[in-house]
Amino acid sequence: MYFNLKKLHLFGLMKSTIFNKIPYLALFLISGAVLFFGMDLFLGSVTIPFKSIINIILGDVNEKESWRIIILEARFPKTIAALLCGAALSVSGLQMQTLFRNPLAGPYILGISSGAGLGVAIFIMGLSFIGISTSDLSIATNSGIVISSILGSFTVLAILLALINRIKDIMTILILGVMIGSIITAIIGIIQYFSQDVQLKSFIMWTMGDLSAVTSNELLILTPIVFVGLIGSFIISKNLNAYLLGEEYAKSLGVNLKRARIIIILITSILTGSITAYCGPIGFIGIVIPHLARMLSNSSDHRILIPLSILLGINVLLIADIISQLPVLEQTLPINSITSLIGIPFIIWIILKNKKITNLN
Amino acid sequence: MSNTLKIAALTIGYNKKSILTNIDIISQKNQLISVFGRNGKGKSTLLKTLSGMLPAITGHFIFNGVDVFNLSEKEKSKLISIVSTTKTDIAGIKVSDFVAFGRYPYTNWLGINKKEDDAEINNAIYLCNIENLCNKDYSELSDGEKQKVNIARAIAQNTPLIILDEPTVHLDLINNIEVLKLLKKLVENHAKTIIFSTHQIEYALQICDEIWLINNDIIATYSPVELINKEKLKELFDDDTISFDKVTGTFKIR
Repeated sequence: MYFNLKKLHLFGLMKSTIFNKIPYLALFLISGAVLFFGMDLFLGSVTIPFKSIINIILGDVNEKESWRIIILEARFPKTIAALLCGAALSVSGLQMQTLFRNPLAGPYILGISSGAGLGVAIFIMGLSFIGISTSDLSIATNSGIVISSILGSFTVLAILLALINRIKDIMTILILGVMIGSIITAIIGIIQYFSQDVQLKSFIMWTMGDLSAVTSNELLILTPIVFVGLIGSFIISKNLNAYLLGEEYAKSLGVNLKRARIIIILITSILTGSITAYCGPIGFIGIVIPHLARMLSNSSDHRILIPLSILLGINVLLIADIISQLPVLEQTLPINSITSLIGIPFIIWIILKNKKITNLN
Repeated sequence: MSNTLKIAALTIGYNKKSILTNIDIISQKNQLISVFGRNGKGKSTLLKTLSGMLPAITGHFIFNGVDVFNLSEKEKSKLISIVSTTKTDIAGIKVSDFVAFGRYPYTNWLGINKKEDDAEINNAIYLCNIENLCNKDYSELSDGEKQKVNIARAIAQNTPLIILDEPTVHLDLINNIEVLKLLKKLVENHAKTIIFSTHQIEYALQICDEIWLINNDIIATYSPVELINKEKLKELFDDDTISFDKVTGTFKIR
C-alpha cells in the first residue's frame, strides 16, 4: 500500500540529514498560512489598505462602511472557510487512506458527498415541484441547501455504519462506499433530467464548490464542528498508526477494530459532511495533501501527519482561493476547478514516479 | 513461571464449515510447539483461531487459567502476540519505531514510550540481532529482514504466548536457523510458550518440544521422538516414493 515515498525526494531536499526537520517545516507552513491568509483578505476587486483590513477585523467601526461590509461579510468569512475546508478535507483524506490502505482514497470515497449531493438535488429540484423558484428566497435556500446536504450525507453514513457491523473485510466496505456513490449519482442524474434550467443551474453551481457561500453566522456553527473533528482525529492517531500494520496486526495489538472503524468513519463524515454542506464538494485536496505531508516529513506517523496535513491543507486551499480571484480575471473562478487543476497533475506525478501505486491490494 | 495451555472440545473452520473438530490438547509447561501438516489441512486456521483472529465454531482455549476467547482485544494483546504471513508494507517508518509497535498495548493514548517500554524494545532488538537495521526505513529491508523485525515487534509485546504462522518462510538457511534458535531461547530463558506452523519438519524434529501433527482431519500431539518411532510421518504421504529415514531424521526421495 504505502508505496515507497523514500524515492520521491521532493526537490532533492528530502533525504537530508539526521536533524529533525519537522519543526522547521511546521514553522515554514505557519508563516505561509499567515502570508496567504493576509493575501486572500487583501486581494479582490476593491483595493483596501492592509492597515484598514486589520483595523476592521479587530473591530474598529471608524473605517469606511463599504470596506467594513466587504471585509466582514465577504472576504473574512470566505478566508476562514478556506482555512477550515483545507484542514478538514486533508485530515479526512489521510484517515481514509490509512483505513482503506489505499493511496487513492479520499474524503469522498465513502459516497458521503454523493449523499450530500442527493440531498441538495432533491431540495433544489424539489422546490420547483411546489412552485417555488430558488432565485426567490436566497437566504432560505441557502440554509435549506445546508440542511438537506447534512441529511443526505448522514443517510449514507447511517447505511455504511449499519453495514460495517456485518462486514469483516474492510475492502468490501470501500467497494460498497463506491457503489453507493454511483447509485446516488445515477439518481441525481435522473432528477437533473426532469428539472428545469434554473434549478439545474443552482445545482451545478453547488457542485462547483463555493467558499463564499458560507456566511459569518454559519461559520459559528461550522468552526466548532471542524475543530471537534480535527481534535478527534488527533486523539485516535495511535489507532491510525496501528492500522498501518493492517487490520490483523492492529487487532493483535489490542485495537478494537469495529469500534476503531466506526470512530474513523464518523470523524471523516463529520468533517467531510459539514464542509460539503456549506462549501459544496471540493475535490482532490483530500487525496493530494496527505501524500504531500508524507513526502515532506518522510514519516507515516499520524501524530506528525495530522498536524502537517492541516497546515498543508490550509496553505494549498488559501493559494487556490487566491488564484480563483486573481486581479487579472474578470470573474471569480469555481474553486473546484482550481483544486482539480492543482491536484490532478500531482496525482499523475505520484503515479508515474511510483510504480508500486498500481499494486493496490 | 510455567505457562499452562488447554484446548478443549475446539472446533475450527470458516463460516460454520468445520475443518478440524473436537480438538483436545493439554500442555503443562513452557514449550516450543510446531504445527505440522500438509497444505490446506488447517494449520493457519488453527493458529488464527487460537490467536483470536478467527472466531472458533465451538470450544475453549484456556491459557494460564483464562479462556482466551472471552477476552477483549486489549486483554488479549497482553497475552498473545502474533507474527502472521500477511505482508506488511509501510514506508516512512524506522525499524526501531516498527519494533516499538509492540508496546502499543502498554503505552498511553499518544503512544509515548516510557523507560520500561524502551528497555523492552532494546531487548527485542538485541535478541533478534537486528541492531544494524535500527535506523533503516522498514521499506528498505529484504523479506528476511522484515520477518526478523516483525518477530522483534512480537517479542517487544512481551506476551507469555507467541503464535507465528510459518515464521521462517522467507528466510535463507542461516537466518532460518537463527530464528529457530531464537524461538528455542525464548522458551528456555524467557518463560514463553511458542506455537508456530512450519513445513520444515526436519528442523522441527530437532528443536521442538512438541509437534502437533494434522493428518486425516485429526490433530494429535507427539514429542519428536514419538513421532519418529511411531512412523507417523510416513502416513502423511500416500505414495511409496518418499520415505522417512529414522536415523538421520530426514525425508528421502526414491
